[in-house]
Amino acid sequence: MPQASNVQGSAPPLFRQGASALSQWLLCSALALFLMVADARFHVTEPLRQGVAALLYPLQWLVQHPSRWIHEALAHTQSLQEAQQQLQEAQQKMTAVTVAAGEGAYLQRENDELRQLLELRARLQTPGRAAQVLYDSADPYTRRVVIDGGQLAGVQPGSPVVDAAGVLGQVTRVYPLLSEVTLLIDRDQAIPVLNVRTGARSVAYGEPTASYGGGMELRFTPGNADVEPGDLLTTSGVDGLYPPGLPVARVVHVERRADSTFARIYCTPVAQVYGARHVMVLSPPDTAALPPRPPAPEAPLLRSRGRP
Amino acid sequence: MIMPKGQQQLLLPARPSFIVVTLALALALDMLPLGRLSWTPSWSLLLLVFWGLHQPQRVGMVTAFVVGLCIDVHQSVLLGLHAMVYCAVMYGVSLAQRRLQWFGSGWQALQLLPLFAAAQLLELLLRILLGGIFPGWWLLLAPLLEALLWPLVSWLLLAPQRRPPLQDDNRPL
Repeated sequence: MPQASNVQGSAPPLFRQGASALSQWLLCSALALFLMVADARFHVTEPLRQGVAALLYPLQWLVQHPSRWIHEALAHTQSLQEAQQQLQEAQQKMTAVTVAAGEGAYLQRENDELRQLLELRARLQTPGRAAQVLYDSADPYTRRVVIDGGQLAGVQPGSPVVDAAGVLGQVTRVYPLLSEVTLLIDRDQAIPVLNVRTGARSVAYGEPTASYGGGMELRFTPGNADVEPGDLLTTSGVDGLYPPGLPVARVVHVERRADSTFARIYCTPVAQVYGARHVMVLSPPDTAALPPRPPAPEAPLLRSRGRP
Repeated sequence: MIMPKGQQQLLLPARPSFIVVTLALALALDMLPLGRLSWTPSWSLLLLVFWGLHQPQRVGMVTAFVVGLCIDVHQSVLLGLHAMVYCAVMYGVSLAQRRLQWFGSGWQALQLLPLFAAAQLLELLLRILLGGIFPGWWLLLAPLLEALLWPLVSWLLLAPQRRPPLQDDNRPL
């Protein structure tokens, strides 16, 4: 007798309302949490992300144009004199670069010959392709930019990105037509560097909120290490990803504290991390051409190290 | 006829296509490449709250989830982060929806301000937990701007639902 139970309390629903708001919320939050964990830990959501990105691309493409027009209109009103001055500067710079490039080619040949004589491994060539920065990523919690050229142009995730002055960052996500570059000053970004003056190797980490206007920090450098403000840091090339010798950052301030083993070293990137327009995406080296990685230490070795 | 205070006449039903178009427009506004600004109001959040308030049968948790996913992909953060925030906001809207409809848009904005602020703080909390940097106090301006935009947005979006002035005095409905 179905009516009896209704008399006792639960009335039949007059309208279909679906699940209650609370249960819907809990379900959606659980799903969102599941997606976040799946994305962060297991990296299984990439197809979903690529699919949504492909759907969103027409919209992104549409809204990019008005702002580009505004930029172009503003650039158009730039005075002729300024443009000529810029041209002159660019030509001067190009002359200097041409001389350096000639020297570089000569040195390269010499280096190749010497390496051949000494039977050393040949230096890896890094081909690159030019790209343009389209816009800063809208996310204020990170430091990333979006460049044109994606999977279709052959951009690979992990590629180093450089601008006219030095290393800008690294491609971290590739979409069919766009790629996303994490700048050196992003908190999650680290780059192995070499101090040109002393030859000491270390790792620079991004720290956008660091004091002294830096944006990068050299961590885990002993307090008595020979580092001075003004030192140039270049890529060391030991990571097998960044080609060696690209300028990365300049040391702006060194803080040596008595209470800490490590010095705090603030650096500022050489590249224009806030205003680069034209960049170069270098291909990451072919892993087959790299020397094999040394085998990981085996478990008994670790255990014996753990003992006092 | 008992009418809500801010409303002078019965509204026509909202067209589903209009809802979809406005949501897409809000997404597009959120995708404008303005640079790394923390204080820009979130248009999609504003529109979700608006439709969640006025058309709860059509726009609910699922829509909020999908729009959140789109924002996640656009900003390329962890998938599900904005979805979570927007779903929480929609839950808040569904709790307050019956009451809020009795107020004019100005009073609604005042009552929605805590909701917008809570959404911003929830996002900040999640981002800091996930290792983001603190983007500065300017981000507190965003909920304020969203609340300020609310009367304008509600006036604009309810316009297609208002009927032209009555011609027939004998049949007011």
